[in-house]
Amino acid sequence: MIRSEREERRPQPVAGLQSVTGAAYPDWDAVYRDNVTWVYRLMYGKVGNQPDAEDLTAEVFMTALKPLRVSASVPEVRKYLRMTARTVLASYWGDRMGRQLTTIEEDVPEVIEPELIASDAPDKVRRLLQRLPDNYRRILELRFLQAFSVKEAAGQMGVSVANAKVLQYRALRMAAQSGEEASL
Amino acid sequence: MSDRTVRRFVERLLRGQSTEHARPNDFEAEQMKTAIELRAARLGSDSPREDFVSDLHRRLAAEMTEAPQPDHPRWAPRRREVVIGGSVAAASAAAGLVVGRNLLAPGVTEQATPQAQGELDPNAGTWQSIGASADLPEGGALAFDLGSVNGFVHRTDAKLEAVSGVCTHQGCKLWLDAPESRLRCPCHSTSFSLEGATVTHQLPVAPPPLPKFKVRENDGVIEVFAPTKPA
Repeated sequence: MIRSEREERRPQPVAGLQSVTGAAYPDWDAVYRDNVTWVYRLMYGKVGNQPDAEDLTAEVFMTALKPLRVSASVPEVRKYLRMTARTVLASYWGDRMGRQLTTIEEDVPEVIEPELIASDAPDKVRRLLQRLPDNYRRILELRFLQAFSVKEAAGQMGVSVANAKVLQYRALRMAAQSGEEASL
Repeated sequence: MSDRTVRRFVERLLRGQSTEHARPNDFEAEQMKTAIELRAARLGSDSPREDFVSDLHRRLAAEMTEAPQPDHPRWAPRRREVVIGGSVAAASAAAGLVVGRNLLAPGVTEQATPQAQGELDPNAGTWQSIGASADLPEGGALAFDLGSVNGFVHRTDAKLEAVSGVCTHQGCKLWLDAPESRLRCPCHSTSFSLEGATVTHQLPVAPPPLPKFKVRENDGVIEVFAPTKPA
């Protein structure tokens, strides 16, 4: 009885000791607020237009939030969201194009702060453009990066509208070819 | 060779419109991919709209408070609400497989409840003295440090309560702001009530409340149930 009065406890065998990988989110709301921006940006970078990026972001959260155990750590939640995004994007391209135009890589070193991991996309685009002849590079910069209309771009470059259109498509073909070769 | 597929795709892309169905060949697909990369590299174009973020939040809130339907397949009732249909179940199944089963708890519905305040419950513990009852008047608070744990005990309405003295965010030691009855973290300005509830913070996500200790008075001595010191 002495022992029970002191209410001492003996060490108990520790069953299923789990490693702690990080802080957890208090609720789904926090998961959403903390991750919606990078999920959207990821999707936008893969589809290039706002309506589809919004639909895909919505699908990721609609799919992922409910079965998510909230005690999962922050890195686990982010990895799970990324994997869900990967699957959602794959099925989107399968449906729209019958093939994967772009993909989300599976093996990314643990994403601690997704916002802080700068995308290499601008660099890639810069390198791509540098490989092109001047007028090809110019038309792609004006149309894609600077949001010029064909007419404005044509005016800027001192060519006809028809000419600008042809230039744009030839430039894109060459950029795609050069991108293919660079990735081989 | 006709480039209509690519042209149409690029025109819509540059107008900011959604992608239409098409069946491009290899080279067309490569051009489309290049076009997406170019378009996505435009400065400032990849931030989500505020309206979109808040609207999706509302849709999710409705979804998360919906009564659980254990007899239905988890995804079936919601497929129609998802804008891009057709693949939701497959998506969740595949993602679940990759991440592992411990993230997916069957039938979990309490996501929206705030995190509960836990009680410190060591595998091996003893009642350890932290000070004399006389040192802790009504309304007062007292810091203690037992080596393995530290914390604060306070007496309110003649009742004792003790909470951990370590911030639940990154483990900095809290200090007692007695005039304000707050426990403050020196690292990120988080503050807790003497009862351990998170009162203020400047973090993206509120840190959980402080764990409580079992506390009692024994012959004029305040005792806290704390881990036994290693031999």
